[in-house]
Amino acid sequence: MALDFSIILRFQDALLLGLWMTLKLTLICVILGCTLGFLVGLARTSRSVMLRTISGVYVDFFRGTPVLIQLFWIFFCLPLILGIELSNLASGVIALTLYMGAITSETFRASLKSVGPEQLDACIALGLPRRIQVTNVILPQAVLRAIPTLLSNCVSLFKESALVSAVGMADLMFVGQNISNNTAQPVEVLTIVALIYFIIAFPLTRAVSLIERRILAKLAI
Amino acid sequence: MTAPITPPLVRMQSLHKSYGPAMQVLKGLDIEMQPGERLVVIGPSGGGKSTLLRVMMGLEKIDRGSITFGGKPYISSDGLDKKTNIDTEVRRSIGMVFQHYTLFPHLNVVENLILAPCKVRKERKSDATERAVGLLTRFGLAAKAKAYPAQLSGGQKQRVAIARALMLDPKLMLFDEVTSALDPELVAEVEQVILQLAAQKMPMMIVTHDMWFAKNIASRVIFCAGGVVVEDGPPEQVLGSPKEERTRDFIDRVFHIRQ
Repeated sequence: MALDFSIILRFQDALLLGLWMTLKLTLICVILGCTLGFLVGLARTSRSVMLRTISGVYVDFFRGTPVLIQLFWIFFCLPLILGIELSNLASGVIALTLYMGAITSETFRASLKSVGPEQLDACIALGLPRRIQVTNVILPQAVLRAIPTLLSNCVSLFKESALVSAVGMADLMFVGQNISNNTAQPVEVLTIVALIYFIIAFPLTRAVSLIERRILAKLAI
Repeated sequence: MTAPITPPLVRMQSLHKSYGPAMQVLKGLDIEMQPGERLVVIGPSGGGKSTLLRVMMGLEKIDRGSITFGGKPYISSDGLDKKTNIDTEVRRSIGMVFQHYTLFPHLNVVENLILAPCKVRKERKSDATERAVGLLTRFGLAAKAKAYPAQLSGGQKQRVAIARALMLDPKLMLFDEVTSALDPELVAEVEQVILQLAAQKMPMMIVTHDMWFAKNIASRVIFCAGGVVVEDGPPEQVLGSPKEERTRDFIDRVFHIRQ
């Protein structure tokens, strides 16, 4: 069987458009998802039982169900509940943001917990008010510690975003599938699509381990 | 003995503290500390020494008792409700250094020193930095001003921690086993800094297992065991020829003396 990879040249514009959609979607959801995750992480460690319960149910639900079903649910059920039609992009953003928020909230929660109680002792011994303890001592350390895992979460999201093709969003995966169906050359096309995902994800995963080492070296007490 | 004219710097009355019904750590401590005194607290692990310092700093609640500082009550609990009242303004006159340094790892040395002065006393950053550099120079750490805690040795970290506490001009310093986590060759540099403070008449309360250091720095030694003060006196007495059987046992054991 002869493989012909030259078809990529014929479809490169379409593939680039798809990649652009994937990157746009990932970037938006990274920003919104991390913000949401940070707030939910705070809620999960708060003193209020209500905040802890609500945020806990949210996280458990989104971590415990397949992303694909979450996507379908947002695409088909949310318009029924809200009574308005959402664009493909809006639905994709909502679904992946909710998913990313649940995942990163766990990252933030773990890093908040990793700031040891002796740091609080030091704050009290220095007479720092509660607000300063949080904004100048606890949060900066927690965020620094969270960065490597957050980057891993982002790489995961980038790959998971391929699922939006299942509900008709024209991302890289969707474009690849279309080309593959029309040309009947799934091996070549899907290999190329996989390579494009890899070329973007691989440097990021390497960056994660580099940054992780740097940060851990800096924070080692 | 004539009564002191000035009020005691610290007066602890009937301090009770327990971790659950089975673990009573402080069983009614009464200690008075005069201005200018350097009080060393020694005793077996679990005898309540560290808890005592943590209570004084307001890091631990108490079940009953009270503490005054310079005549002002600042920590009290009547034992009825579970509340420990702490006057944070008074507490700010007390500085504390811990066994494990507890520097802020994400801030460099100068930033560690100026955080509290800038945020608590609203001191100008340039003024605080100038004072910080002065203190670091005094402690032989001028070259480390921009270093992060992870880049320092244990002895350097502990000296930074002492400097950080001094930035708030404390009227009393608490040292909780500050050399216990250090490699033996680094102990001296930290003890030198504390001796330097002692020479400047800084009142201090020190919990230590280092009997040589205790002998050198103490103006008075308290032997604490089982949550009570067993013996209290000048260092020559408590460390040299203790009156109490339990003190003698302990001193013999830590000095490895077998008769």
